[in-house]
Amino acid sequence: MSRALPVGVVAIGATVSWWAGGLHRDQTAAHLSVLVAIALAVAAAVGFGIGRQAVTARAWVKGPFDLSRHLDEDPAQSLAAAIWAVLLMSVIAWDLNSFVHQSHDLPTLSSIFGHLTSTHAGRSVVFAAWLVLGATLALGWRRR
Amino acid sequence: MSAGAAVWLVLGATLLGWGIFSGLRRDLPGPLAPIRWFAQSWLGRALALCAWGGAGWHLFCQRP
Repeated sequence: MSRALPVGVVAIGATVSWWAGGLHRDQTAAHLSVLVAIALAVAAAVGFGIGRQAVTARAWVKGPFDLSRHLDEDPAQSLAAAIWAVLLMSVIAWDLNSFVHQSHDLPTLSSIFGHLTSTHAGRSVVFAAWLVLGATLALGWRRR
Repeated sequence: MSAGAAVWLVLGATLLGWGIFSGLRRDLPGPLAPIRWFAQSWLGRALALCAWGGAGWHLFCQRP
């Protein structure tokens, strides 16, 4: 029973991803599949997350700004976290720059993913990855 | 290859390299660390879920 649930969830996710991968952006089913996934993620985040967040929103906002404490406690981790932040902000900044200029020489992340989602298999894989990311964001790292 | 594509290639390779390096080192925050950071609080989780939902809608319902 304890193993059947995760196996069943993975099987359903894979089946739904393959089905959604065969849809076109203009189809109502494509819109519904995305909207249902979003609704389920929000419902799961709220339903399973009340009273189980690791830190308060205020502490979360203030956390990164306490640089001196982070550097004192663990300089290597602080530097690594800063590298992650710089890399991810670089991706966002370059995507925004490419979007603003609207040039064929400056592809956006959206156009890059568009190549991946132009085939049934590619769209299915990206949809599955999107579902996994959503489930992780909705349910991951809660307090027990 | 266009200049923009070259920049994406460099960014992707850097992210991949750093992700592998930090993932192999137990003392460093690995590739899941950015996701874990957002999932720590209601605000971070809500912001990340909004971005996730918007990205999904754009990719699967708007992209040509």
